[in-house]
Amino acid sequence: MSSATWRNVFTYNKYAQITARAVRQSLKESERVVAEKRGVTALKYQQWENGVGGQQVFLNPEEDKGVGKSAAV
Amino acid sequence: MLARSSLARIASQPSPLGAAPKTARNMATLREIELRLKSVRNIEKITKSMKMIASTKLAKAQRAMNSGKQYGLANSEIFQHAPSEAPAKRKLFIVTSSDKGLCGGIHSSVSKATRRAIADTENPVDADSPIMVIGDKSKSQLARVLGKNLAMSFNQIGRDIPTFADAAGVADLVVKSNVQYDSIAIVYNKFVSAVSYEPAIIEVANENSLKESAGFRAYEMEDDVTKDLAEFSLANAIYAALVESHACEQSARRNAMDNASKNAKDMIDRLTMQYNRGRQAAITNELVDIITGASAL
Repeated sequence: MSSATWRNVFTYNKYAQITARAVRQSLKESERVVAEKRGVTALKYQQWENGVGGQQVFLNPEEDKGVGKSAAV
Repeated sequence: MLARSSLARIASQPSPLGAAPKTARNMATLREIELRLKSVRNIEKITKSMKMIASTKLAKAQRAMNSGKQYGLANSEIFQHAPSEAPAKRKLFIVTSSDKGLCGGIHSSVSKATRRAIADTENPVDADSPIMVIGDKSKSQLARVLGKNLAMSFNQIGRDIPTFADAAGVADLVVKSNVQYDSIAIVYNKFVSAVSYEPAIIEVANENSLKESAGFRAYEMEDDVTKDLAEFSLANAIYAALVESHACEQSARRNAMDNASKNAKDMIDRLTMQYNRGRQAAITNELVDIITGASAL
């Protein structure tokens, strides 16, 4: 158990997210739909150097549907 | 008789706007007032509907906040039992705000709290402490003032209730980045009541600070597990902060839109009064013209 090699690949948070996704996908249909909403994230991030922002990158590229909808307000 | 002489006196005074025909000038201002009235009515409809939407979202956000707060409380228990020996020299500030505006002073309160914490002389922190911002509004505010300190920024959080997946993603990126820090200070808005909020800071310790603390050294802990705990507790703290900030934002937006609707209603009343007075003045002037014309015949 102490020789888990996943720690070389990703962090504990990612590990927890993967296991959570597995649990959600194994739920009964009605419960699954509710639970899927709790796992949705459309996070974007960008690195900053010296006061200048870099390129904005999606954390989960498969959810990238092109230019995101800009907020109305 | 007195009324007619005073009317004649007023009519003979030169108009401040120049020598346009009297009735034409009143009609022009009447049209302007009518246009303004129409636009303010539309604005009132919009702000009223925004207020309704924000109140329904607030109910949901408050429920999520109450359950999310338990994560934050359970999280902070660890740090109460394992306080770090040395005061943190290098703090990473994570600022939680959102991408949308029209919510009162939410974003500027959090940005100001960050600036105050960095300029604080009681508990000094490095002047080049790294800052990571969640949310575009605070990002633009802080980029203007503390642009050199910005390390990373996140957006697309806050459209709906923040999920733990969002918080875990942010925590992941923080840990994987090359930023050096001894502890993390998460700046967020604390929900005091449905009409007020105040900025607050959650402190989260680094993996190394946890290892050094007396509470931890009393046990035999594997390094791997300590690292996991540090990362997970960071995600927990970020989640609690995000959810509470989101609830504050909805309540602030509801209050701001409520005030805007009230102001719009006041403006509508005032403009309607002005419009009616102008209309009646125009009618009176036309009557005067007709009567003086008729009496001249």
